[in-house]
Amino acid sequence: MTTSERPPGPVPLAPPDEEQVLAEIAGLIVEVLGDYAPDPADIRPETLFGDDLELESIDLVMLSGHLQERYGEQVNFAEFVASLEIDEVIALSVGRLVDHVLHSLGTAPEAGAARWS
Amino acid sequence: MVMIRANGLGLHVQRLRPPHRRPDATVVFVHGAFIDSLASYYFTLGPRFAEAGFDAVMYDLRGHGRSERPPSGYALEDFTADLDALLDELGIAHPVHLVGNSFGGTVALDFVVHRPERVATVTVVESGPASRAWSHTMTSALRHAGDMGDDEALVWFTEQYGTLSSTRTGDARHDAHIRRLGRAAARLVRATTIAEDMPTGRVLTDEQLGGVRCPVLLVNGQEGLVAAESARLRSLLAHCRVAVVPGQKHSVLVEASDAVGRLALDWVREHAGAAPEPSGPGPVR
Repeated sequence: MTTSERPPGPVPLAPPDEEQVLAEIAGLIVEVLGDYAPDPADIRPETLFGDDLELESIDLVMLSGHLQERYGEQVNFAEFVASLEIDEVIALSVGRLVDHVLHSLGTAPEAGAARWS
Repeated sequence: MVMIRANGLGLHVQRLRPPHRRPDATVVFVHGAFIDSLASYYFTLGPRFAEAGFDAVMYDLRGHGRSERPPSGYALEDFTADLDALLDELGIAHPVHLVGNSFGGTVALDFVVHRPERVATVTVVESGPASRAWSHTMTSALRHAGDMGDDEALVWFTEQYGTLSSTRTGDARHDAHIRRLGRAAARLVRATTIAEDMPTGRVLTDEQLGGVRCPVLLVNGQEGLVAAESARLRSLLAHCRVAVVPGQKHSVLVEASDAVGRLALDWVREHAGAAPEPSGPGPVR
């Protein structure tokens, strides 16, 4: 079984890499958006939650719950969003969330958190 | 996602319960109408209060966010009855600290008048009580909203909300954000009788407001919408303080959440007796 086929569940001992987290987050976004969801393959690091995916803030709350279920208490999306300025929330990209997840799980490179605006 | 059946409706609830919370210290957050949802608290005051040891209850008003959207029943008293029933369903019998933003503040004030035994303190952000003047303003503002076509309603709501924000306008991304909010509001108006119901709900008399005994904090943006109404309310209420956040408009909760959070938390702590136990490093769920 390859890592990309791993079923949802607790975070494995081997830390996930960037591609894996991106794929997982794309899956969670599709779940939140339901009928309005794009093809998960079209969700890339530069995809914007607002401009591109048209997520409303309540959708971000739903996403937060899914992230916590998937990654546990280590990933606190509410706290992460709370730390951003309103302009940064409006311009939030999928890549920045991926970086945040990797950083929270302790697997991000030093400069990871700042790569995506 | 937790849905609680209350007053005949499914209400979406998010609750942050710190492991070492102070007993009987519950804060219930009530959001604004049309464009708002519990998200305005989930990413701002909710975690802040939970970290300070409070049980933070956030819910989507009927028709908003992920709560059920009935076709009718959007008078103020419906929202108050929802809150009353929600507290019952959650098993919260002790008086709670209410925080209400915009229309949520109007709900909070209506609630404290009609269910005073259930409220310890009220924090009202950019809002006031339902009064005849409020009703008149709402009637004028919403008169044509229900009859508008999609595009027209979108433009109207976008214009309304554009003037309420103190963040820069003219920025393409910010404008697109406002348009998305406007579109959500237009959907609500089109699908329900909220535009007719809201202005025709019950109002509070000066005598009723004068009878409120619990402490009420009014938090306003310096360039917000309710300065005159706050002055009137302050003269009526037995225990009231007004705080103004400089440089902010009506959207002060979301656009200056640090300042509003500090004011609200200090106010609740001041009236909640001894300081809550710190929650420690553990999770706040």
